[in-house]
Amino acid sequence: MIRLIRELYQYRGLLLSLVQRELKARYRGSILGFLWTFLNPALHMLVYVLLFTVVMRQNTPYYSFFMFVGLLPWIWFSSSISGGASAISDRRDLMTKVRFPAQVLPTTVVVTNLCNYVLSLPLMLALGILMYGQWPTWHALFFPVVVVIQLTFTLALTYILAAINVTFRDLQHIVGNLLTMWFFGTPVLYPLSNFQDETVRTAMTVLNPMTPLITSYQAIFYEHRLPDAGPLLGLGVFSVMLLWAASMIFEARREEFAESI
Amino acid sequence: MQESMDAIVMQDVVKSFRKRTIRGEYTTFKSELLRWLRGQRQPREGGLITALRGINLNIPKGKTVGIIGRNGSGKSTLLKLITGIYTPTSGHLQINGRISALLDLGAGFHPDFSGRENILINGIILGMSRAEVRARMDEIIAFSELGEFIDEPVRTYSSGMYMRLAFAVATHVDPDILIIDEILAVGDEHFSKKSLAKMMDFKKQGKTIVLVTHDLNTVDKWCDLAAWIDGGYVRRVGRSADVTAEYRQAIALAESQSVAFTPPALTEGGGALPQVPGSPSAPPSTAPVRLTGLSLVAPSGEVEPFSPETAVEAHVDFAADERCEDVEFEVSLQTADGKPLYETSTRLEEVPLPRQLPPEGRVRFVLERLGLLAGSYSLVVTARSTGGVSMERRAFQVSSPEAERGVFRPAHRWVVEPAPVAQQVVPALAGDTVPRAAGGGHP
Repeated sequence: MIRLIRELYQYRGLLLSLVQRELKARYRGSILGFLWTFLNPALHMLVYVLLFTVVMRQNTPYYSFFMFVGLLPWIWFSSSISGGASAISDRRDLMTKVRFPAQVLPTTVVVTNLCNYVLSLPLMLALGILMYGQWPTWHALFFPVVVVIQLTFTLALTYILAAINVTFRDLQHIVGNLLTMWFFGTPVLYPLSNFQDETVRTAMTVLNPMTPLITSYQAIFYEHRLPDAGPLLGLGVFSVMLLWAASMIFEARREEFAESI
Repeated sequence: MQESMDAIVMQDVVKSFRKRTIRGEYTTFKSELLRWLRGQRQPREGGLITALRGINLNIPKGKTVGIIGRNGSGKSTLLKLITGIYTPTSGHLQINGRISALLDLGAGFHPDFSGRENILINGIILGMSRAEVRARMDEIIAFSELGEFIDEPVRTYSSGMYMRLAFAVATHVDPDILIIDEILAVGDEHFSKKSLAKMMDFKKQGKTIVLVTHDLNTVDKWCDLAAWIDGGYVRRVGRSADVTAEYRQAIALAESQSVAFTPPALTEGGGALPQVPGSPSAPPSTAPVRLTGLSLVAPSGEVEPFSPETAVEAHVDFAADERCEDVEFEVSLQTADGKPLYETSTRLEEVPLPRQLPPEGRVRFVLERLGLLAGSYSLVVTARSTGGVSMERRAFQVSSPEAERGVFRPAHRWVVEPAPVAQQVVPALAGDTVPRAAGGGHP
């Protein structure tokens, strides 16, 4: 694992340039350009807001703000996973021609999406302030902690998927479908407190690593309280272990990446 | 000490690939996943393709080395091993110095980005730091000769412009060892000259260059050494002219024997080309008269490349058994690809040879004047006797400041003088042609 991270650090210049390029390339050629960073999640949200406030009434106050707080990190997570799964297998041109550590490629995807997330935060805050008068409180200081835990978890999962996808290409299609199911199993569109049963809430928190993350964001920005430390800490430990497992797989398989692609 | 002299050291390097068939052997998903997660390689003999069977090759620092061989003989696999994209299945590989590989031009180019932006990303991918690329940016742009196009998206470039930009970046990485795979012929005449000049620059700076190419003339011209990869082994390493000459002969021999050119890695024994008799890589001869050495000496003290007017002696050293009969020495002067230009022998010219040859001796074949034009040639000397044949080959270069065409230069001079009075133009012919020309179009 140390080697994995050390190599990433050595190749930070490459990582930085690739992320920069991805960010620029995403909206290059479109008329609205960079605005799409905000428009995409906003339109995404609008669909759900219509669905849940008009069609299926929710009695959550400030519903659109509540949903936005959870939806943005979910978009970060899901686009990282779906894009990262094929990150190595799609870049045959690089993998077979140039020598560089393969983990740079999935990391680029995750970091690019993190940047998109961070860039869309002002929109989220503006929405809260302008529509509902929800100013961020000092609890926002804990926001970076949650982000780091999600980053570790997302990186680890993306590494594993990207490595497996080199030989087992079906995975990238499976991942897309699983993510849809995962999304509805995560309390993004509904508050976790909607479940009256304590055991259901515990099960959702323990079995779904995204639940503690999303509820933490909601705690910080929406409920203005400190996130629950227990599940978050547990997830932090789990993420580090997952990253360690991912690096073991990389270590064992790295030689075959260039040959298998 | 030995290690620091060589840029690349390879010992018994073997590389095999797992054969991937569409309907692979029967494996359950679970067992496959378990095997995969553990990273085990199952060396199932049947499913393995061995591209390199045991490469022993030392590439000295500061030399330009050409790697030649048939398609599929493992040249590119060798380069990928050197650059570290592949790891050897077994064997030892050591690299001394920073390596830069030009295996593919324009790695990571993005069509929507401008030339300038692509230089940055491509340079970093090739191993430069951001600061290094920025510092060399103007130099790279100047070299690529793209002018104002540098700020246009790469997708609007012509393929020549694309290649020029890519080559410009690639050659501005400042490596100790430069690996080039068949890409020297980039762009038009002017640009390829510039590229070659850049390569020469690298050479002058004492950098090691490893070049894979099918263009044997390039190898002859630019490389100090050549390594011939054949059937997964290094068939021969040596002076580039010698190696390319033998390679050309082996190809010609294979074609004349109508050897099937199957993919080498899939063929039993690696699909090696036939042995060229008399080559150093052929097994030692057991003929009664054996040639032990062949050198070309100019009595004037001139060294290779010879000029066309030099007198040259071929010194043929031989060893002879006590009983050898019917001895004949044959000399063949050939072009680099093995086409004979002149052949003669002691029998044809009825040269008296002693009845009993000394156990060790020398035959001198004296050319009063070489008479060849600039180019690569080889001299093949054969000793025939009842009981066996022994052959030696020596490649050599001739250079000349004059740009004559052809193969040989007969002894000649030019004289200009007034026409002799006795001869007159025959009028009948002229009278016949003039009206035809005048009446053309007006019958």
